[in-house]
Amino acid sequence: MNRFRWLALVALVLGALVVSEVATQPVLTNADRAHQLAENFACPVCSGQSVAESDVPIARAIRTEIARMVDEGATDAMVRTELVDSFGQDIDYTPQGSGLTGLVWVLPVVLAVAAVTGLTLALRRWSGLSTGRAGSTEKSSRTMLLVGIAVLAVGAGLLVAQTSGSRGAGETGSGEIRLSTRTLLAQAGVAAPQEAIALYTEVLELQPSNVEALTYRAWALWRSGGQLLARVDINDAVTMDPAYPDARVFRASMLFADEEAAAAAQDLLVLDTLAAPPIVGDLLAASHLRERIASSLAAQGDLLTALTLLDSGIEVTAQPAPLLAERGWLLAVTFEPDLLGLAVEALDEALALEPAHPNALAYRALVRSVLLEDAEGAAADAASFAALADPPTALVELLTTEGLLG
Amino acid sequence: MRSVRVKALLVGVVLLALVGVMATRESGPDRMSTHLVGQGAPPIEGATIDGDVWRLDLQRGRWVVVNFFSTTCVPCVREHPELVAFAEAHAAAGDVRVVTVAFADSPGAVEEFFRANGGDWPVLASDTGRVAVDWGVVAVPESYLVSPAGFVVAKVIGGVVQADLEAMLVEARGS
Repeated sequence: MNRFRWLALVALVLGALVVSEVATQPVLTNADRAHQLAENFACPVCSGQSVAESDVPIARAIRTEIARMVDEGATDAMVRTELVDSFGQDIDYTPQGSGLTGLVWVLPVVLAVAAVTGLTLALRRWSGLSTGRAGSTEKSSRTMLLVGIAVLAVGAGLLVAQTSGSRGAGETGSGEIRLSTRTLLAQAGVAAPQEAIALYTEVLELQPSNVEALTYRAWALWRSGGQLLARVDINDAVTMDPAYPDARVFRASMLFADEEAAAAAQDLLVLDTLAAPPIVGDLLAASHLRERIASSLAAQGDLLTALTLLDSGIEVTAQPAPLLAERGWLLAVTFEPDLLGLAVEALDEALALEPAHPNALAYRALVRSVLLEDAEGAAADAASFAALADPPTALVELLTTEGLLG
Repeated sequence: MRSVRVKALLVGVVLLALVGVMATRESGPDRMSTHLVGQGAPPIEGATIDGDVWRLDLQRGRWVVVNFFSTTCVPCVREHPELVAFAEAHAAAGDVRVVTVAFADSPGAVEEFFRANGGDWPVLASDTGRVAVDWGVVAVPESYLVSPAGFVVAKVIGGVVQADLEAMLVEARGS
């Protein structure tokens, strides 16, 4: 019974120690918190100075960044994660709760418990000596007590380490920094569709409003056959950020594939008003998405929207020749004499910009041959087309049918 | 008595092992020097000295050399002609963009420097402290190579030379 009393006493001491370590600090002003946090980080270029003490430019910049984050409501753990992400673990004065560094937290607790235990045992021994009680039962009980206390001490030490040395909710079990969302996004960008979907989902769990993750998950889903889910994601992405260019171009592609050319055209028209990265322009050029949508619209009788879409693209792109060629062709195949001049003008302009553009050459050869009765000009364009290294098969067949290629 | 010696020996061995681990552990500054490499590039967005808004995420699909710079830093001034040569060598192909983030400097001084020394690329010079912190810049000059997919693939602490940048690019491209 006596033994349990001692055990309870030790547990109480340990409990108090743990609570004192993890107890919530009193509420501070933002400026106090920012200053207190700055004291917990090492100046990256000074020796032995904290960010709060140093006056070098990067320390000043870090102080400003800490103050900004605190004002925006970031927790201490979030500030710590941000700075460790940027500068590495060595900037953080607070030791990690895992690995070898975790001993910094564990050892003091273990030593404190060992000291209390030693004192307790010494007192009991003196008490036993004075009353003349000692024997094998007593020794066995003492051993069990010691083992129990040792387990308790290590457990308490680990608890203190985990709590005080924690880097916040994002930390993995091994104590490593969780990959930041930007790294997850970059990894997903080069991953296979299924892996990419998992990575984008992970980003969205961390940051549900991440429009980039939502957009690219939609695209990865689309590529892997999940059309319905892709459409849900891409619509959410456009709603979340109507000015995100990537979402617009991906949705246009999906809409066009689902034979909704008019809606696809609207997305591209919005896209033309946004600051899109070059990769979006490259994607549009490589897929000929705009030309295909315009062609589809014209085939459905909506020539006006088709031309509006092409003209909008011609204004914003650095390589308008393919769009000019398509514009010329769509105008020509109306067979309206009033539009023929505009058609030839567009084709001429396309070839002035890119003399070896296959579509422009083939279209102008056909227009000259069929509509302008200019056999010589048509033969010249057809010859230039035939000299191309790898002319598109569909155009070769078209020119052959019209007797312009042998 | 013998038992006490064995215990003492064990304690000694454990302590020695601890000292060994601590002594051979990678030191702080070295680890900092490769920080960010292999990670997604932190965002950069800001006004250039020409008054335009420049964003790193709008450069996806191109290689980008992000150069942290100050007119008051001698190695930065020394490396500048190398960066100019590098940028000019890639101007026609348009495969690599250079951007300078001037840190702890006055926009006027930066503008004057580029006017006098060349460098026809975007230069951010105002409110760049946050960018420097996000990138973990310790001291200028520092340069980073960002892949078309948005990864930081290489980091150079100190001045760069054109040949090294080209070699870095070739290695990163795997060609």
